[in-house]
Formats: sequence, structure tokens, C-alpha cells
Amino acid sequence: MIKKIISFFSVFLLFASVSFSAKAAEKIALVIGTWAEEPLTPFVEKFTAETGIEVDIQTFPFRDLLATLEVRGNAKADDVDVVFVDAPLVPSYAVRGMIASMDSYFSDTNVNEIFAPAGIAAASWNGEMYAPPLNNSGQILYYNKDLLAKAGCAEPSAIESERITWAEVVDCAKKINDEGSGTWGMIFDQISRYYQLQALPESLGGGSGVCEGGLSVKGCLTNDGWMKAAQWYYDIHNTWNVAPKGANPDQTHEMFGAGKIGMFIGGSWNVGRWKDSDLSFGLALHPYFDGGDVVTGCNSWHMGVWNYSKHKDASAKLVRYLTASPEVALAYVDKHNSLPAHMSGVLHVAEDPKFNNFPDTAMKLATYESANHCATRGRTPGFLEFEEIVNTSFEDIRNGGDPASVMQSAESRIEQAMRRYK
Amino acid sequence: MKNNFFKRQWIVPYLFLAPALLATIAFKLYPIFIGLWESLIYTSFGGGVEKRLFVWFENYQYLFDDPLFWQSLKITSILTVIINPFQISLSLGLALLLMRKSRFIRVIRSLYLLPIGVALPIATVVWGLMLDPYQGLANGFLGLFGIPPQPFLISEHQALWSIIAIATWKGVAFWMLFLLAGMEEIPTQYYEAAKIDGARTFEKFRFITLPLLKRTILFVFVADTATNFVLMVPMIILTKGGPMQSTNVLAFEAYRSGFYYQDWGRSLSIISILTIISLIVIGLQLLFLGENKEDKVK
Repeated sequence: MIKKIISFFSVFLLFASVSFSAKAAEKIALVIGTWAEEPLTPFVEKFTAETGIEVDIQTFPFRDLLATLEVRGNAKADDVDVVFVDAPLVPSYAVRGMIASMDSYFSDTNVNEIFAPAGIAAASWNGEMYAPPLNNSGQILYYNKDLLAKAGCAEPSAIESERITWAEVVDCAKKINDEGSGTWGMIFDQISRYYQLQALPESLGGGSGVCEGGLSVKGCLTNDGWMKAAQWYYDIHNTWNVAPKGANPDQTHEMFGAGKIGMFIGGSWNVGRWKDSDLSFGLALHPYFDGGDVVTGCNSWHMGVWNYSKHKDASAKLVRYLTASPEVALAYVDKHNSLPAHMSGVLHVAEDPKFNNFPDTAMKLATYESANHCATRGRTPGFLEFEEIVNTSFEDIRNGGDPASVMQSAESRIEQAMRRYK
Repeated sequence: MKNNFFKRQWIVPYLFLAPALLATIAFKLYPIFIGLWESLIYTSFGGGVEKRLFVWFENYQYLFDDPLFWQSLKITSILTVIINPFQISLSLGLALLLMRKSRFIRVIRSLYLLPIGVALPIATVVWGLMLDPYQGLANGFLGLFGIPPQPFLISEHQALWSIIAIATWKGVAFWMLFLLAGMEEIPTQYYEAAKIDGARTFEKFRFITLPLLKRTILFVFVADTATNFVLMVPMIILTKGGPMQSTNVLAFEAYRSGFYYQDWGRSLSIISILTIISLIVIGLQLLFLGENKEDKVK
């Protein structure tokens, strides 16, 4: 009798556990930047409603996001499933096995019809697509109309044939500078960051800084273009003193918003900060060096499936839902003022008449710059080391370091760091 | 049986010590051993394949060939030589001041202890804002005396000094607390006897306070040195080791190698070297400042 009771309960427990596990929703962890939480959350909730897959959204500020992924990657942690991937880090994560190839999850569709070509190129390494693009980016010139008028400068143009040069920017910045009122002529949105400053050496013919093959920087970070760009960056902060030292990328937009900066070179997303403010500002095309190429920063955030995830199929579903869905792309454009990587978003910006009206024209200008003058960041599996060293070198130059010796030192440090990938 | 077990009296002290010994092994010795072992491993991603190779001392060899390592070692040495005596002298001076009898001494002591309650990252951020060369409070204050604005953290000549100031503001009250407790322990009869003998304030300090405070000072010296060898929060938050590597101490270089570049072989090699340097410096402090046999006889 006792045996029968035990058998009955065993069978009952077995069925109960099977039915419980069948009903329990699969749960995945999505690691994104804090700035993406608001635009993405409604779609993540919709994804859960449609698929039954629960998503735990974990957000991190820009600086902590990359460090978090590195630490989790080094620990081969399986508590992460879908991650934000900065476009130039795709090769690094792919080579180190941190993200999984997405080719098999997109095999039933033509990715060329979904994403803009630059996005697919940035998402891939060695012919495989690892992290489809969520959005794109483009840099333009914002200017304070009142400060320019007071200094007697002509307003920069949004027409290609009248694109302003860096020399003209500096000339005007010198007139705007006013130490007494703490007003500066110009500033870069992302001060001392490679993403934005790559445009300077590129415009002077210096290239991305990474040599072909992506495993060396010897001679590519200290060529004529890079050295001239480094000297120019030194001059605007030290010789001509038209751009402030000390300010960090979190403060630059606040300074422009407070009317303390004449010209601000930044991404399209900034327009949302000022469109409803009293600031009288205008928009123009990105500057370039006279006689050089017109080049601007581009690419943005991608999404990848964590290679150590135990829920790869569910994670891939989420990645595909968020990156390949036109609905998400349009929301990202409208709510975040970020350029789309999805073709439907690109068409939306091109065709919707609202983008012909100021200040939404920022999206149109940035799309134009990104489509025609995009400088993809250096493609190397050692990008993490490369970017950090280049960023600190730009910061040293801004703070008065000798440009030539700083760049020489950066080149040898990166070269040493690259040995791990050879 | 039970009685027999406890009759083996030699085992009793070991039983009492066992929890502490096990914790020391698990949380101190084991991580040090793992750190030393991993410093001999080189991780390569050549050809897109992750390989962990045992390379003996190759990571150390790369380190010794790297000018950045020697620069970091130089900055660490400068920081150690300056910050520890500076903080301890200041702590001792403050402790002496706060030993004075006054109606408001308890309130004044509490005020001096406030920085202890502020977390170092928060203190660092606040100091970063105050030392902002354009909008910071520090330059506004200096301006009152006609001193021109200083670059502080963005100058390669001032950044390390600024960090020393921040760390000292945060740490000096903490170390003062130990010295204050040590001074409170000194019997007042010694001072009364000295007063009768006609000793002046400095003589009382030189011949009573200092000798009787020697053990406390030694503890504070060793603990402060160990703490400052791993000081890197202000570097992480404010300077990233710059400008021009002027604040790039070994602890920060190890952190950067590990957490930014995931080069754990290099990171742990630096940590191992830093551990050895710390042990040598602390050993020297114990040797020269420790109690000698004559002190013990007395």
C-alpha cells in the first residue's frame, strides 16, 4: 500500500514539474545603454506579449556599459543574453567569442533589403554578420545665432557647395571667444573621443589610424594627416584658445544650451535638447579642412546575442525583433532623434515632410552626412585598446601635451596591445 | 572519548584559530596564489582563436620593456614618498590640536571626522567639481586673494598634487582617530610629572607623547602605506591616469590593463610586483620604526 502511495505521488510530482516548466516563461537578460531604455521598453513589452519570452532590461551609462560587458565576457558569464554592441567593437567581440554569429537567424531573409549597407558592413566580421544595427549616427554643426551675429560672423551653410571649412570655424570662434563672460568659440560634443575626432585626420588624408588588416597601427597613427590633425586639436585648445579645456562630454551640450558656446559639432540626437528651448540656434553641414576630404563620424549601436547565453534562440528572436522591425526604427527616429539603420527609417527621414522644417532638418542633414561622408571607425579586433589609448592621447593633447610625442607614444602603446591579436 | 579529545590541550588553540586561519587562506593567500599563477599566463586571440598559454615570466619581461610601466612605477614611488609622511604628520598635528581641553572639543572633533562619513567616490566627484578650472569653487576662492586660475587636474604638473590633496582630505581624519585614541591612553601623570620638572610643550611631546605613541604611529604608518599603494578611485573618476600619465599609478595601470583591455596577464603581473613592493616597504617600516629590544625591557 505504502509503495502504491509513493508511486502515485512520484508520478504526480513528475507531471506537475513537467507542466510547471512548460508554463514557466523563458526569461532573457537584455543589457543596453540607459539612453535606449525609454525608446526600447514599449517594444520589449510588446515582444514579451507576442512571444511569451520575458525580458529583464538592465541599463548602464555609456562608460559602464563597455566595462560591464568586458567583465561578464571575461567570466564567460551566462546571465547575459542580448547586449548592446558599439559598432567598431564588433570585430573585437567576434574574435574573442563574446557574441554569436547571427547569419543562421537571418538566413530566411535578405539583410540588404532590411539594413543600410554601412550598417551591415559595421555589423560583420570575416564575412559573417554578428550584431545587426539598431541605429546609425551623423554629425552636424550647430551654431548660436546670437553669438555669431554679435561677433559679425556669417552663418554657416547647410548647402554642400557652401560647406564651411575648419579655418573659417576657427576664425569665427576667435571673434566669439570672450573670457570675461566665459563664452567659447567652439566645442566638440564628444570631446577627445575618437568617434568624433576621427573626422579630423580623415579630412587631412590620414585615414582611420588603423593599418590594413586591422592588426597594426605602425605608421598609420603618426602619418602626416594624423600629426596635422593632432596639432590643430592642440592649437584650438592651447594656441588659439578658442575651445575650453576641462569640460567633459557630459557637459558640452549643457554649455551650448546655456548660450556659452558659439559653434557645437555634434550628433543629430542633440536637437531634441534644444528644440523647445529659448536658444536661438541654427544647423549647418559638418566642417572640413580646405583642400581635404569631407568626412564625418557615423555608425552607432548594434545588438548581439551573447555567446555564453543559455537562451540563444530566444535572444536571437529579440535581436531580430528590435533591429529588423520598421516600427522600432521609426520610433527611434521620432523619439530619440537618432539616425536609422533600417531602410524603412531611412526612407521615413527622406520622405516625411516634417524633416524639411527646422529644427527637424537636423535629421535630414545628419542622414545626408552619414550617407555621403561617413568614416567608418578603424576595423580591428583590438579596437577596445586602440580607442581608449587614442581618446586619452587626444585628452593629453587638449591639456597641452606635445602632439608629436603624444601620438608617437600612443602608436607604440597600441602596437604593443595589438600583439595579442596577431 | 570526549574528555580524551579535549585532554589533548595542544589542539585547543588551533581550534580557536582555525576560523581566522581558514578565512586568511580563503580570502588572502588563495587570491594571491591565483594572482601569481595567472600572471604567468598569456591569453592570445591570434587567428581568431582564444589560447591560454603558460609563458613563465614573459608577461614580466614585456612589462620591464614597457616605458609606461616604469613611468607608473615612478609616479607610484613619488606618491608613496610624499603622501604617507604628509598624511601622518597632518593626522598627528590634528590629533594634538584636538587633545586640547575646550568646551566645544567634542563638536570640533565631530566636524573633523565628517570626511570619514563621505564615500571616496562621492568625495572625488565633489572635489572634481570644485577643482574645475573654469567653474570650480577652488579657483573662485583663489581669486579672492588675487591668485590666477589654476588648471589643477588638467595639468600634468598639478594633477598628482590635487589627488594627494583629495586623498588627504578624505584620509587624514581617519588616521587621526587612531592617534587620538593612542594619546588618550597615555597616563596624564607623566605630563604632570614633566610639568613639575619644568618641561615645556615641545619637550613633553618629544619625550612623552612621541615615544608612548610609537606603536600607534607604526600601525598607522603601515596601514596608511598599504592603503595608498592601491589608491586609484580619483584616477578612475577624474584623470584616467593623465594628463600625460602624470597620475598613472601602478594600481590604476593594473586596473586599466585588466578591466579596460582584459589583458589579465599584464594586469596581474603589475599587481604581483605591487604586492612585492608593498611588502618590502612595509617590512622596512617595521624594521626601522618597530619596537626594539630595549623598548620591550623598559
